[in-house]
Amino acid sequence: MPDPRQRIRNFSVIAHVDHGKTTLSDRILELTGTVSLREMRDQLLDSMDLEREKGITIKARAVRMSWTKDGDSYELNLIDTPGHVDFNYEVSRSLAACEGAVLLVDASQGIEAQTLANAYLAVEQGLEVVAVINKVDLPSIDIGLVREDLRTTLGFKDEEVLLASGKTGLGVAEILNAVVERVPPPSGDPDAPLRALIFDSHYDQYKGVVAHVRIIDGSVAHGDRILLMATAKESELLELGVFAPDAVPIQRLATGEVGYVATGLKAVADCRVGDTLTLATRPAAAPLPGYRPAKPMVFAGFYPTSSEDYPALRDALEKLSLNDASLVYEPESSQALGFGFRAGFLGLLHMDIVQERLEREYDVDLIATSPSVEYRVITHGETEIAIDNPAHLPDPGTITEVKEPWMKVTIIVPQHYVGPIMDLAQNKRGVLMDMSYVDPTRAMLTYDMPLAEVIVDFYDQLKSRSQGYASLDYELREYRAADLVRLDILVASTVVDALSMIVHRERAMGIGRALTAKLRELIPRQMFDVPIQAAIGGKVIARETVKATRKDVLAKCYGGDITRKKKLLEKQKKGKKRMKMVGAVEIPQEAFLAVLRIKED
Amino acid sequence: MISLYVHIPFCASRCPYCDFATAPATSPLRARYLAALRAELEREGAALGRPRIGTAFFGGGTPSLLEPDEIAALAMTIRSSFDFAPDEVTFEANPATLDRARLEAWCALGATRISLGAQSFSARALTALGRTHRPEDIAPAVAAARSVGLAVNLDLIFGRPGETEAEWRADLDAAIAQAPEHVSAYPLELELDPSLEWEAVTNWPGGGWPTLERWRSNATVARPDDDAVADRYALTGTVLEAAGYAHYEIANWARPGQECRHNLVYWRNGEWLGVGGGAHSHLAGVRSHQPAGLLAYIARIEGGEGRIPDPGADPAVDTAILALRLSEGLDLDAYALRFGSTARARVDAALAPLDGMGMLERRGPSVALSERARFVASEVFVRLIPD
Repeated sequence: MPDPRQRIRNFSVIAHVDHGKTTLSDRILELTGTVSLREMRDQLLDSMDLEREKGITIKARAVRMSWTKDGDSYELNLIDTPGHVDFNYEVSRSLAACEGAVLLVDASQGIEAQTLANAYLAVEQGLEVVAVINKVDLPSIDIGLVREDLRTTLGFKDEEVLLASGKTGLGVAEILNAVVERVPPPSGDPDAPLRALIFDSHYDQYKGVVAHVRIIDGSVAHGDRILLMATAKESELLELGVFAPDAVPIQRLATGEVGYVATGLKAVADCRVGDTLTLATRPAAAPLPGYRPAKPMVFAGFYPTSSEDYPALRDALEKLSLNDASLVYEPESSQALGFGFRAGFLGLLHMDIVQERLEREYDVDLIATSPSVEYRVITHGETEIAIDNPAHLPDPGTITEVKEPWMKVTIIVPQHYVGPIMDLAQNKRGVLMDMSYVDPTRAMLTYDMPLAEVIVDFYDQLKSRSQGYASLDYELREYRAADLVRLDILVASTVVDALSMIVHRERAMGIGRALTAKLRELIPRQMFDVPIQAAIGGKVIARETVKATRKDVLAKCYGGDITRKKKLLEKQKKGKKRMKMVGAVEIPQEAFLAVLRIKED
Repeated sequence: MISLYVHIPFCASRCPYCDFATAPATSPLRARYLAALRAELEREGAALGRPRIGTAFFGGGTPSLLEPDEIAALAMTIRSSFDFAPDEVTFEANPATLDRARLEAWCALGATRISLGAQSFSARALTALGRTHRPEDIAPAVAAARSVGLAVNLDLIFGRPGETEAEWRADLDAAIAQAPEHVSAYPLELELDPSLEWEAVTNWPGGGWPTLERWRSNATVARPDDDAVADRYALTGTVLEAAGYAHYEIANWARPGQECRHNLVYWRNGEWLGVGGGAHSHLAGVRSHQPAGLLAYIARIEGGEGRIPDPGADPAVDTAILALRLSEGLDLDAYALRFGSTARARVDAALAPLDGMGMLERRGPSVALSERARFVASEVFVRLIPD
């Protein structure tokens, strides 16, 4: 009997955002007789009963399909990857679970920054990459130019590159045949102690934490006692199975296979992406390489708009973090905003997602302070402390040095927009490291740039200055010393700690002016004059005043109709409730976001 | 004893800033409306046990448009349905539509007071407001009212599109020259909320919502800014007070003893019956109203249905807000007796942050808005709205 592993192919589809990954994945699932991903998502949303029946949440991050080529039947495992630069590490772990990757490039867009980043990740993992030009059904596209992109930047030969359309289904069978032909079957030692790579996990209210795994060595069977090597957590596994696409419990997962393990653990934090799952009774000698704990890069304060919602916010964060091990948070308090949480995120998008989920799914009205990076501060005492909240920056007199994270930023942009993009990067303290051409029309710029600049308005500016054509990727390079100061904002002579930010000294004046001007627009007129000041260490560098309101009255008498007036007053009251009282001043939520949208002139 | 409000929606044309229930004078529904009005008066009079009427107010719309026989028919119904011996009966009038026969019919009904919608003495301003009367109509209308012994209120509007301070100053002087007993001066309000104003628009065929919206958004752009309007308001107070008028309510000034008693009933949160389209009532602690659409109103009366209760009415909150409109203010001791100490504590807590800001005047147990606070009254009232 031949080795069953010879009939297994594990692969991912990787692409820049919007290059058609989801649509093409749907086509693959259809063609292999599996249900479309969308349908499964609908099922998930529609039917809680289904969830109970199966005893497990259907979250298809890896789908088992079957495909017949030349009369032989193959087991294909399609492993989904998160589609954003914030989740780079998660992508790398998903890829580590594969032997191959299908690299999609939109025929009308060509290679973008994340196409490259994903392709490099795949190559680093030693994956066989099948390049596919997608959306070839679109009118007025230049496939030759995309082929040139792939040839010059990634070294693909023209004849290797497949053409496909997720929309029409064209070329999908050829992709699957190429996966069977070119992607090697899994290797690994079936007789060695179990080593399973966790590439995703989620929390299920009935089964606890469910790990999505790729069996690298050995095998796991129903009833085994398992051990997570990084967190040293042990438990009795409750269920194991595969997604096809519904969760199908099975008795055993063997070397090379992909499936799920219901661990019975209570927190996703105990079951980290990248960790190695082994048997408690016969543990592996060493874990799989490449594990690192999720490291938050961007931090922000989350505060309930009204203080009585604090418990609701705490519960919501707790529930959310059950399913999101990369979300970290701890209680903090602000003089301006009261009790809340400092939360850490993988990046800005991750922060947006968390904020939106808190507001939508948990119905928590919250104020997010301007995002900050983690600074390393060396004080006279020679101790290095990490600061992720600008309000906590020590007294300037005690600081020897402040270091901030710098990123390697890759931008791909049509030649025509190179000038404006270089201006932008320079304004953001970017240092040009390299410039090359991916094809005759498009340049690739590589910058070193402080993360603090990347997270404030960089992406929006990049898009607007390139009319949407520029694409962006970034990764951490190192911490570097910088001349940084804390810029405080005082409203009615009170420091609003939630508005404090750490800025480069040379730019403090410009930012201070822009911010006070913006706040003057955003803070509504009150019953008294409200001075707004920007200050560094007690020295005021910019000042504006919100003049007292002089007219706010419903004077007309409506034949005793107080209902109408009260409706209008209630509307006004609602507006006020969405504001935060800082001292006697009402500050709208948008004011706390103003810091994000500051444009210095 | 209660007060009586009667709503006459008909107008020669629609003023685009007006939010009251109005309808064209030529409406084919006019006779049916007036019949429904009389039916409602009869029914309510009987249901309330023919109560004594302390004050009455005929508002609109333009009550002065009614023909003498229509007025007489109303008078007859009112006298047969109520114990009608009020000390004050006001009717609203457009300066252009007043004639002797109508005035006499109103006097026969018992009118003691006329409220003239003068709005301005400037031809430019009247055009800008979409008014159909002319400045020269006002003095004869006042003279005619005087000749039959009526006390006079002049309604004025400031903060109009294109208005200058000099123009408004001239309006105030011209108004004072007419020696009215009472002046109402309102800042132009242009907020348009479909949920509140949609109903009244349906009475006007043709010139619908988009026209209204366009007019108001243009007028919003062309009117003086809030600070200038606040200056006009301050000027109004100074000029009228110098001429002997006391500022007794946010938008109302009167010679001593000439305050509008009917409106005081509203502001003191007293009891009144309001009949007609869009009219509000407050009886036995319950607020209610009739629909503003003519057809809806008529159908309701003809179908024998009662008034629609106002949701969200809260007597304690309403009383506090209304009382603070008046210079006499809110007597907190009396308030505590009427609504309990918890209600009083709520008012105290809401107002406490304003002490020391020059917004409140406290006299013994009473609290009132300072002159400066009156024009930001909503900022104060909003604090009294419960969470």
